[in-house]
This record gives sequence, structure tokens and C-alpha cells, in this order.
Amino acid sequence: MADYRLTVDTGGTFSDFVYVNDETREVAIAKVPSTPDDPSRAILAGVELLIATGVAPKDIKYFCHGTTVSTNALLEGKGVRCGLLVTKGFRGIYEVAEQSRPHGPAIFDILYDRPAKLVPPSRTGEVSERVAFDGQVLLPLDEDALRKTVRELREEDVQAVAVCLLFSFLAPRHERRVREIINEEIPGCNVSLSSEIVPQIREYYRLSTTIINAYLSPILARYIENLDDRLNQAGVTTPQKYIMQSNGGMSTFSATAKKAVATVLSGPAGGIMASLQACGATGFKNLVTFDMGGTSCDVALIKDGEPSVSNRGKVEGRDVALPMIDINTVSAGGGTLARVDRFGELTVGPQSAGAVPGPACYMRGGDQPTITDCNLVLGNLGEDNFLAGRMKLDRALARAAVENAVARPLGMEIEAAAEGVVRIINVKMQEAIKAISTMRGHDLRDFMLLAFGGAGPLHACAIAKELGMAGVIVPLYPGVYSAMGLVMSDVKHDYIRSRMTNLANADEAAINAVFAELEAEARADLRDESFPEDRVFIEYALDMRYAGQGYEMTLPCSAPLRAGDLKTLRRAFDEEHKKTFGHTAPDEPVEIVSWRLRGVGRVPPVDLPTFKPTGEKLEAALRETRPVRFDGASVSCPVYQREHLDVGVTFHGPAVVDQLDCTTVIPPGGKVRVDEYRNLIIGAA
Amino acid sequence: MSAPKTIDAQRSIDAVELEIIKASLDGIVQEMQNSLFRTGYSTIVRESQDASCALMDARGQVVAQHVVLPLHIGSFPACCEAVLRAYDDIAEGDAYLINHPYEGGSPHAPDMCVITPAFHAGALVGFCASIAHKGDIGGPVPGSCSGQAKETFNEGLHLPAVRYQRGFQRNTEIERIIACNSRTPELVLGDIRGQLGSSRLGEQRLNELIGKFGAAAALACFDRLLELSERRMRAAIAEWQDGRYEAERFVDDDGVRLNQPVRIHVVVEKKGDHISFDFTGSDDQAVGPANIRPPLVRGAIAYCLIALVDPHIFINSGLMNAFELKTREGSIMNPRFPAPVNTYNPTVHATVEAVFGALVNIMPAKARADSCGSRSIILGGRSTKAGQSYVQYEILGGGGGARATKDGQSGTSVNQSNAKIAPIEIIESEFPTRVTRFELIPDSGGVGRFRGGLGIRREYVNLADARFSIRSTKHVIAPEGAAKGGKGRTGDIVVNPGREGEKRLPTRYADYPLKGGDTFCLDTPGGGGLGDAFARDPALVVSDINEGYVSTQAAQRDFGVAVTRTGRKYTLDESATKQLRAVR
Repeated sequence: MADYRLTVDTGGTFSDFVYVNDETREVAIAKVPSTPDDPSRAILAGVELLIATGVAPKDIKYFCHGTTVSTNALLEGKGVRCGLLVTKGFRGIYEVAEQSRPHGPAIFDILYDRPAKLVPPSRTGEVSERVAFDGQVLLPLDEDALRKTVRELREEDVQAVAVCLLFSFLAPRHERRVREIINEEIPGCNVSLSSEIVPQIREYYRLSTTIINAYLSPILARYIENLDDRLNQAGVTTPQKYIMQSNGGMSTFSATAKKAVATVLSGPAGGIMASLQACGATGFKNLVTFDMGGTSCDVALIKDGEPSVSNRGKVEGRDVALPMIDINTVSAGGGTLARVDRFGELTVGPQSAGAVPGPACYMRGGDQPTITDCNLVLGNLGEDNFLAGRMKLDRALARAAVENAVARPLGMEIEAAAEGVVRIINVKMQEAIKAISTMRGHDLRDFMLLAFGGAGPLHACAIAKELGMAGVIVPLYPGVYSAMGLVMSDVKHDYIRSRMTNLANADEAAINAVFAELEAEARADLRDESFPEDRVFIEYALDMRYAGQGYEMTLPCSAPLRAGDLKTLRRAFDEEHKKTFGHTAPDEPVEIVSWRLRGVGRVPPVDLPTFKPTGEKLEAALRETRPVRFDGASVSCPVYQREHLDVGVTFHGPAVVDQLDCTTVIPPGGKVRVDEYRNLIIGAA
Repeated sequence: MSAPKTIDAQRSIDAVELEIIKASLDGIVQEMQNSLFRTGYSTIVRESQDASCALMDARGQVVAQHVVLPLHIGSFPACCEAVLRAYDDIAEGDAYLINHPYEGGSPHAPDMCVITPAFHAGALVGFCASIAHKGDIGGPVPGSCSGQAKETFNEGLHLPAVRYQRGFQRNTEIERIIACNSRTPELVLGDIRGQLGSSRLGEQRLNELIGKFGAAAALACFDRLLELSERRMRAAIAEWQDGRYEAERFVDDDGVRLNQPVRIHVVVEKKGDHISFDFTGSDDQAVGPANIRPPLVRGAIAYCLIALVDPHIFINSGLMNAFELKTREGSIMNPRFPAPVNTYNPTVHATVEAVFGALVNIMPAKARADSCGSRSIILGGRSTKAGQSYVQYEILGGGGGARATKDGQSGTSVNQSNAKIAPIEIIESEFPTRVTRFELIPDSGGVGRFRGGLGIRREYVNLADARFSIRSTKHVIAPEGAAKGGKGRTGDIVVNPGREGEKRLPTRYADYPLKGGDTFCLDTPGGGGLGDAFARDPALVVSDINEGYVSTQAAQRDFGVAVTRTGRKYTLDESATKQLRAVR
């Protein structure tokens, strides 16, 4: 019997499934309505769908899941009741946080408040102990006092405790002893140690990350346990059950349950990982992913087949100091509203028409023009083939909305007004792309724009052209794209250790010693997850900065370092600094701040199916011809049905390609071909 | 020498291009700012983020600013005008430095401004600039901010507008002069180069933008963006009730005359879409460094107006045209050269609070009690770790004032200040200092129906001999409450508290010699309260007690709330509370 892979991405409305037959490489997809009260019910329904086709549950050898359980619990404030233990005298670390307000409007907003604390002071205990900057113990741990404090937390009925002591990233012994004592005093309590979650310098970010972990871990652990039980009952007993993490790697069920904070961006990570597969399949190694939906647009960068990862970020205003795929979100979607204010200024967004009333053309009572209305006015969308004809759009209502709200107040033609609105929203999305690409030293001429989401392919060609990008890719299944990404991600665990070290005084052996320590940890973890030696890969990197500089740059390296490698590293740092920031200081001392190591457990790859040409002619895919406006002029434009575009066909823009869940607009001169995976590959005009 | 060509802005403006250019300008200043933060060298730029960037037109008006420090919106134009006054041969590849509070608009000498001109087809189209606080620019004390300065000559190296680059080549003579005058030359030059890199990035993107739309169209859009911000501001002001409103605030002292508070007084007159701020009733210029220059007063007013009108308004110099400012020469708000200005911040906070105090008469819904202000502490010495001289610089907030609908924030930056707190683990790794306590101060928030936020307590042990300076505020004059709310607790700075050699320092004090082993404790002020404390929901008072924000004694005395204790928890004693609240 063939082995199967099954992946599921839980979304707000639908849970998306992808099934892969490992032998025939056949791929099937399905959508099941999500069950937010217990997402595992929808998952089981998807499993049943596969079993109903005659697949034996035991043949499902691989299960991977992108979940929003952590994200939602954080968003809705539904984590567990937590306690916090800090070094005696240092409650202020969490109370004061960064101290500053976010840049921009919050500085002026008298009513601005920080996100509510996840642990109040009444459940915060102090630990009498102190470690110095060099790891020396200044004050030994007072265990008797600690026991008393922990008992007080027990009275508070905490289900989890976060522990963050000063300099624990250097000397974790005190934190470990604290855990032993909590385990003795509050059996079954979940304990998150900052020295394990993120052993990194800067106490507030470490503490914030650890608290989020404590707050979410019991919730995620319960969810995973329940899901695992249900899967086992359904006969899916494979040990290869994984959850997608924010860093774009998977982690086993059991490892994930301990590190919930690593899953706060589990959902969007799947889409990025699918794009990585596209790198392999299409041969394009440099991509910008462009996911535009109804209200917002997510962009991310993939360079040389690796997604850009940031080492620290904010999730819902809370600080998380863990590697996560760098996703930039801008408020721009099909429902984004355009208006002219009383000063004659045309503004587009950030307000959105939402699901109700939605765009004017949806005929649900909306009379304000949205991006979708403008696209309809311009001919980018057709009236009859939205969602494969299941939903009719009303062009007259769209025109009326654009006319009343934009064209007339500005004294413009309706079409010109609609085109202007689309140009403005495109610039906002272009700036979001620049922020993750050119602003970090990448040259967009080397990048393809990979478009998905309901509105992405509509705007992609125009944006790629403005940014001077190499072209556009529209994948075959933009609608279940995230679930596709779960099919063959690898297991990835990140390890970090901070040790401020002057590069000039360091030697290769000392640096190797730290890497060796982290590597032993990584190999042990992956061995526990039953990865054989030959499927384990280790990546090394150092966070470095000019001595006294505020941000570190992460430089990949190979370990163990050999004599002389430090000099090479130093040069590489200067070059990278020059590339990213435009200047360099080769005479300044450089410091290593942290060691980073990633343990990768490689999952056997699956090749996505390729398609053979069927000989169907391009004309067979032609559904209609309609006028579409490009750069101020209306052009008669063929509209093709995606499902009928044969492998290998090529054609030129202007053209429109319709499919079930999205529409692709190709400007005049754009060169389109359908590759063997049935991706649309659109070359620059 | 001929003046650079200028371009006549075209008059008719395409509404679409305007928005596209606006969105692009947002992106450009964001990009400049990112670059500056990431490449900053000093603690101040990298950890506290005391730096900001702007894009200006050819006349030096700020067209777009990524707002990190609102005050700088007044400083940039003044710095740029100084460059335009000093040079008539501005050319591509130039860069200028200026940090002179009188020649330009720097709040004080450490705030170094780097300005680069942007050219298109040979014509000057604008400037890219940044202002970043330098750890040390010389003068009698580490950090260059002497609370006892009596002239700007005691406040470090002052550069008028000077040409730092010609043809993209650095003037190394200027660098050498700066290096000789700073205790931390590498950090200062490193920061300046970071600023230069950020400016050049901005220039490149501005060029691309202008290349795309044409200089005439782009510059017309710049003018229009200035005009739009002014019109928006005026339209909002027009809706306010006409009238004359007045308020005053006091700064503890000027650092030299220690027992004499400094008065900031404002009369706001509002009629139609005109609003004017008259500060002529403020004190004469101070002997000590409490003076501020008019660009800062303008920045402070703009801050208040933006806060009251729309925190999301597009921020540029147009906003500055929407109000009139009147100051008196020789006064604290418009001192004569060379009056010292280095610890300007307390005066700016008092100015902001006076303006709010006057304007909330018009808008009670935006009422807000006074806050903690801002402070910095500076330690300088020779590091035991690296043998180099160092300057440890930290900026601390405290309690925010209570708002019309809720409590003030605790442990926060307030008003126009927005620095991040320096991480303890970074401080201890780099400097011979140990932090021994970092917490909020119970009962430091002003009482009221809504409570003021709490101040911060940080205690330190100094591990090696060092020179200590502080520039704080509200150690003597407490943050005011609003609408019958109580005052916030004052701040304090004590060396060797509870030990031999205990000494309380004045609010601003420079160059106190600390010995290795000396300790010091800094308390920052709490925010003022708002409304009648006896009208505060007793449940909130009980919660404050259980969270350690308010003591049971204060609850009883100030809020009229009595509690009973069960184990470690307090619950409301309803009848006793009723009695307490009835007898007042």
C-alpha cells in the first residue's frame, strides 16, 4: 500500500487539506468549514474524507498542521492563569517593558495603553538570587524563601509559571533549581524557563517571550493532546505528527507543546513554505510572496531559497524574541475603501468595507467604492465569472460608487478615478515590499513576485512592473496555498546562546566550544524525535555587531571554525554591513553577541506532480473578450479560463486569466507561459 | 559662486500623484529611520532610539518625518535654514553638520544634525536630514550636559553649519576636531557616519521619486502636502470654541539658582481658525541651563495640537503654519546668546503641560493630568573592562497623568519624550555599574477618580570611580492633578541612601564624584490623578492594593476605602468605606 501525507491549515473560515500519495505523487485538495470552538473536529472531518476514498489510516505516515490556536489565545486573552518569578528587586522589568510608546501616532495619542499584562504583580514572585554579567553568582539562591513564594503562587491557582532571572542566559543553574522546586510544590504546573525558551541577552525581551510561552503552552498542549488522541482513535498512529512554527520549520507534537510561543505565526508560515517549494519547482530561488486578501496584504522575502527571518518582533504589540518568518502586513485588500475628504484629498484605506456591506458591486447595500469596485470598473474583474460565476458583480453599482465618492469630487473620469485608486493602493503595497527588500539591501530585479490570496494575482503584474521585478508567478492552487506548504517542510529547532565576546580577543577553539555545546543539544533533540543521523543537518550563525552598536547582524558560518576563519568572518561582517546599511567601519572592533544554531531534521522530499501537455489549444481556453483599462487606455483583452490552459502554452498580455478563486491580470507585453506544474509564469513586459 | 537652480512648482496637482508621492515619502523617511537605528553606535541611538529623520524641501521645510521624537519637527527647519544662510554653493555630494542651538535648531549641543542636499538635473530639490543625540560632545562633564552651566561655552563643542562632505568626500579635519572634543570619539563619529548613510539613502530614493514624476510635479505635491496639513489643522481649530485661555507651569529650578522655580506661562487666544500662543509672561531667561529656543517651543505646541486634533495627521512643517507663537526676547522661551540650554527637557515638558492645561478648557474630553517629565542620568569614567573612557547614558520616564476615562500608564515615557529604557544586562555588560533594584513605586500615582501612573525606582551600585550627572525634573514641584485629582509623587535622587555619606542631589546636577562602592537611588515622579479620589470605584482601589500599587493606608486616607485582609488578599469593607466616604 502507498504511504500518504496529510496536511491541514486551519483558517478562520475554512480548514484547507492537502493529501499526497507518496508513491504516485498524486495530490488532492479539500476544504472543510472550520470549527473554531474545537479545531480538531474539522481536522478529523478532513481525515475522514481521505479514509472514505479507501486509504487505510495506518498508511497516513505523515501529518503536519498549521494552527492558529496559540495566535487566537493570545489575541483573545484566553491563555492560562500564570505566575511569574523574577530576580528579587526587579519587578520593574515587566512593568516598564520597553518604556517607550510605538513610533508614530501612539506618541501623540493621550489614550494610548500598552497591551494588558499577561501576569499581574499579585502573581509575580521575587527570587532572592543574583548572577553578574560574567556569570559569577553574586547571591546564592535562597531556596527556603523561594519555597514560600512558590507556595503563595500555588494559592493563586496558577497553571503555569514563567521564570526569568537576570543573566540566566549565562548561568541557567538558578532557573533550573527554581523549576525543581516548583515541580515539588505545584505538581503538574507548566514551567517555562527563560534560559531555555530564549537564552539571550536583554532581560525584558527574554522575559516577555517566556511569559507568552507560559501563558499559551498549557492551552496548546491540551489541544495537541486532544488532537493526537482523536487522530490515534481514527487510526492515524504515525509518530510523524508535526506542527508548523513561526520560523517556517515543523516541530513534533511533543516538542511544540513545550514551546507554544514558537507557534504564534504558525498559520502564515505555511504559505511561505509553499513558496519555497515553488522555488524548487520553478527554478526561481528569489521570491517576494504577495498574499492579498479582503482587508490586508502580507508580503515576505525569500532569498536563495531561504525565507527572511527576523530574530525579534511584535505579535499583537507583545515582544517575542524568537526567530520568525519576517512577514510585513499592510492594510490593503479588495475591501479597502477610497474616499475624497473635504480638503479634496483622495485617500485609500486603511478603512475597509469588511464583509458587510462589502464592496458596492456585491449588491449588499454598500455604496462606498472599494478596490474590488475599481477593479470591476477597469475590467480587471468580470461581472459574471467571480467565484466561477457563483457570485454576480454589479458594474453599474461599482461605477456609481466610484463616480460619487471619487470621480465627481475630483472632476475626473470614472475610469481614471478607478485607475488612480488602484495605483495608490499598489504604491502602498510596493512600499511594504520595499521595506523587506530594497531597505535591506536586496535588488528586486533578481526577484519574482509570487501572488496568492483572493486579490493578489489581480495586482501582482502592475506591482512587479513598478518595482522592476523579474516577473510574477501565480501558483496552481492559490486558495489552499498554506496547506501545500506543510507537505514537505523540515523540522527546525533554533538554539541560541549569548556571550558578549570581542572578536579580536576570541579564538576559533572558544567559539567552536559554544557551537559544540549547542550542537550536542540539537542532535539529542532530533534523535529523540527519531531522526537518523543522516537526516540531521546543522546550520551555524553568529550575531555580531560593531562594539557598542545597538543591533546585531546574523552571519551564517560553518563550524567548527578553522584557524584563520575569524578573519574571514570579520571581512564578511564588514561586507554585509556595507550591503545592508550602506557604510562600514573596518577599523572598529567587532563583538560576537550570540551564537545561533539551527538543527534541521530533514523529511524525505516529495516531488509535486508534473503535468503533460494534452494538446489543448489556447483558443479552447478563451472564454470571452472584454475591454480592460491599462495606463489610461482601454484595450480589448482576451479572458482565459485557467483550468483549460494547457501545459506549455504561451501567450502575451494584455490578457486576463480567470479561475475559481482568483483572477490574474496581465498587462500589454507581459509574456505568460504555463509550466509543467501548471503555474503561470509571467515575464516582465 | 551661484545659488543653486530652483524649480518652479507646477500649480495644478493630480490627486492620484499626490497620494502616491505621500505614500512614497512615508516609505522614504521610514527607510532612513530604520537605517539610522540599526547602524547607530552609541547607547542612546541604539538602545534608547534618541534620534529622528526628516525629508525637507529646498526651503528647509519638513515635508515628511517618521515621528520618533516629535520635538525635532521644530528643529529640522531651523538647522536647514542655518545651512541655507551659510552657504550659497550647495552642491550634490555635500553634507552639513550643525548642532548649534542658536545658529540652528538643535535642542542642545549633543543633538547633532546631519543634512545632505538632494539634487535633480542640477537643481536643488530638497534635503535629507537626521538629528541624533551624541553620548558626549565635550565640555566640563561627561555627556556634555552640565546642570551648572552658565553659558553655552560650558556645554560642549558647538558647530555652526559646517560642510562635512564635498563631492561625497568626508572632511577629515572636521572629524578630527570633533574627535578631539569628545570623551567618546569613536561613538560620536560612528553615529555621524550612520546618520550620513541614512541621509544618502533618503537622497537616492528622493531622486528616484522625482525622476518618476518630474521635479515640477513632485515639488508641487510637496507644497500641497504642507498646505493640506495646515488646512486640516486650521479646520479642526475652527470648530473649537473661541476664547482666551491661560495656564502656567513651573520647573523646579534652573540648576544654578536652586531655590527658585522657573515659570512657564502661556495665553492661548483662539478665534475662528486662528490660534496664538503667547509666552511673553514666562520668566526672564535663566542663569542655568533651563532655557529653550523658539524652535523647541514650536515643536512643543505642534505636539499638543497633533495630540488634540488627530494623532494620525500627516506630520510636516505645514502644521507649524497653523498657529502663531509669541515669545519675548530675553525670556526663558527665547534666551539671548550665550544663555545655556543643555537641560532643555524639563522646560519643554512644562511647556507641553501648560499648553495642554490651557487647551483642555476647550476640550474637557481630552483632559489629562500632568506626567513625570523625563530625565537622564549620565555616568562617565574610565572603564575597568576595556580601559577606555566611557559614558553610560540612560533615559527614564515614570508615571503618566490620569486621563479623562482611565488611569495613567506606569513606568512610561510621556509627552514628547519617547526613549526606550536601557536593558540592565547590556548596562552591566558594558559599564562598571550594577543595578540592584528596578520597580514601580507604590502610592506614587496622584489620587483621583482615575489614578496617576506610578514612577520608577532604580538603585545602582557604582563599581568604579565615576562622574555622575543627572538632569531630571519634578523633584520639588510635583506633577499637577486635573479636575480635583491629586498630585503625583515627586522624584528624588539620593547618593548612598541610608549609609554614611548620604546625600540628596538637586534635580539637575553635574559632575558629582562617585567612588567605587557608592550606591545611588533614583525615584522618578508619578503622574497626577484626575477627578475626585472619593469617587473612584472602590473595586479599583482594592485591586490596586492587591497589586501593590496603592497601600492600605493611602486607600483609607486618600480614597476613603477600607479593606479587610484574608490571608494575603484584601477585600472591600463596604460599611467602613461608606462611613469614610460620608464623613469627608
